[in-house]
Amino acid sequence: MILSRKANRNSPPWQIGPGDAWAIARPVAMPVLLGAAILLAWQLSVQWLRLPPIVLPSPGNVLTVLVANSPLVMEHGLHTVVEAFEALFISVAIGLSLGSLLSVSGRFRDGIFPNLVLLELVPKIALAPLFMIWLGNGELSRIVFSVFLSFFPIVIATLAGLNATDRSAILLCESFRASRAQIFFHVRFPYALPFVFSGIKIGSTMSVIGIIVAEFINGSRGLGYLVMFSASNMATPLMFATTLALCVFGTMVYVSTAVVEKLFALRYELPKA
Amino acid sequence: MNSVRVWRSAAIRHIRRAVPPLLTAASVLVIWELSVRLLHVREALLPAPTRIAMLFASAEASLIFQHTLPTLWQAVSGFGTAIVLAVLTAGAITYSRVLNEAIYPYLIGLQVVPKMALAPIFVLWLGIGFASRFVFATFVCFFPIVIALTTGLRETRPEAVLLARSVGASRIQILRHIRFPFALPYFFTGTKIAATMSLIGVVIGEFITSDKGLGFLILYAGSHSNTPLMMAAIVVLCLAGLAIYGAVVLAEHLTRSRLS
Repeated sequence: MILSRKANRNSPPWQIGPGDAWAIARPVAMPVLLGAAILLAWQLSVQWLRLPPIVLPSPGNVLTVLVANSPLVMEHGLHTVVEAFEALFISVAIGLSLGSLLSVSGRFRDGIFPNLVLLELVPKIALAPLFMIWLGNGELSRIVFSVFLSFFPIVIATLAGLNATDRSAILLCESFRASRAQIFFHVRFPYALPFVFSGIKIGSTMSVIGIIVAEFINGSRGLGYLVMFSASNMATPLMFATTLALCVFGTMVYVSTAVVEKLFALRYELPKA
Repeated sequence: MNSVRVWRSAAIRHIRRAVPPLLTAASVLVIWELSVRLLHVREALLPAPTRIAMLFASAEASLIFQHTLPTLWQAVSGFGTAIVLAVLTAGAITYSRVLNEAIYPYLIGLQVVPKMALAPIFVLWLGIGFASRFVFATFVCFFPIVIALTTGLRETRPEAVLLARSVGASRIQILRHIRFPFALPYFFTGTKIAATMSLIGVVIGEFITSDKGLGFLILYAGSHSNTPLMMAAIVVLCLAGLAIYGAVVLAEHLTRSRLS
């Protein structure tokens, strides 16, 4: 890119040479080309090898099925997304309050934090059936399980953010006799927000995974249930279509938290983490 | 003499740091035990910790052990395969501009996609045996390692690379002696994330369909309201997770002490 710029140094900046156009397009064009090539190879190999759709449906087939079943997929997707958001909201509330508590009280942090870290190193997913024994097969067990998976990254991020506040800013406020609460809400918390949001973004993917896994095991609705349902009915194209929808909906939950982060950043001119 | 004293004070500091969390955990267990006994909670709802511990001394211990081996083996082999594939991919991405531009955006984008949702597809293609869970574990472990390692290889100090090039080091030598040591901390960060992912991948695969493994045992015990067995299986699974993670931490320590 630098080389091609140099080659066209004599031309005015509004005239873009052919080398420059390719240099600008490259970062977008290359991944798009790769994706298109894979999809094309997939489509053609399914057609030429006459693979039965039950083994591997072609991308075109998946898309057709997705469009044909869009009301069904949307209905189940709405349940999954709403539950994931509910779990995420609860996780944010728990994460913020527990993170703040841990940052304020050293004794509390010494006693609890290592245990939380240890809990993060074990496959917590395995506890899903336990939540169903305790809370039944309904929405409640799915949401509580999802909260259990997703609150921890937010706790860590909040704690890290609150402890990363600029010392001089705190000293300045202390010299103006700001109370601890004032310093917390007006200095340390705004400083922590970029950290908090990175925690929330990790938590958002975990909350989706929590809901989906719970639906896999024992759901009566939602996209995870629809995937298992179509798999057990040998409806492979529908299964692929639902899995695609799952990925799209799951990514949407992440993207929406990223959008909220951007809005906050614009409104409060947040410092970068 | 002096070194012994330093060593001892470090040990005491470590032990002191471990006391509060151990106390918290112990008090949680005691409260759990007492409340189950005093409130006469049904065993199917919540068995007491001693009941779960006693299960390991009973005949069911061999059942748990029997189901632990396949899960552990699938997780470890998937994890190992993912490390090899991720190192190769990261090397290829670092040295080929075309591959870098074509693949790297997908790796970043796939980070936020719930990959666990793809587990049923692996079961569909590869059946309910070893292969599907092994490949799925490889798949979920691959991404954290390759992203961390690529980031590490990319962010190697350019001065160091230029210096090595100016004294005539080959690309392989630069990779081996400069980029790779620099990227090691990144590599281990990704590998530690993948270490926990490996068991998660296998267990989700076992939840979906299987006839053996700890995930299967957990679901089986759950459907028979045998909560003590279920919780014992969960305990073993957690210990397995800590063991895999601990192995990675140990490997990191050994590599670091050899390099420095």
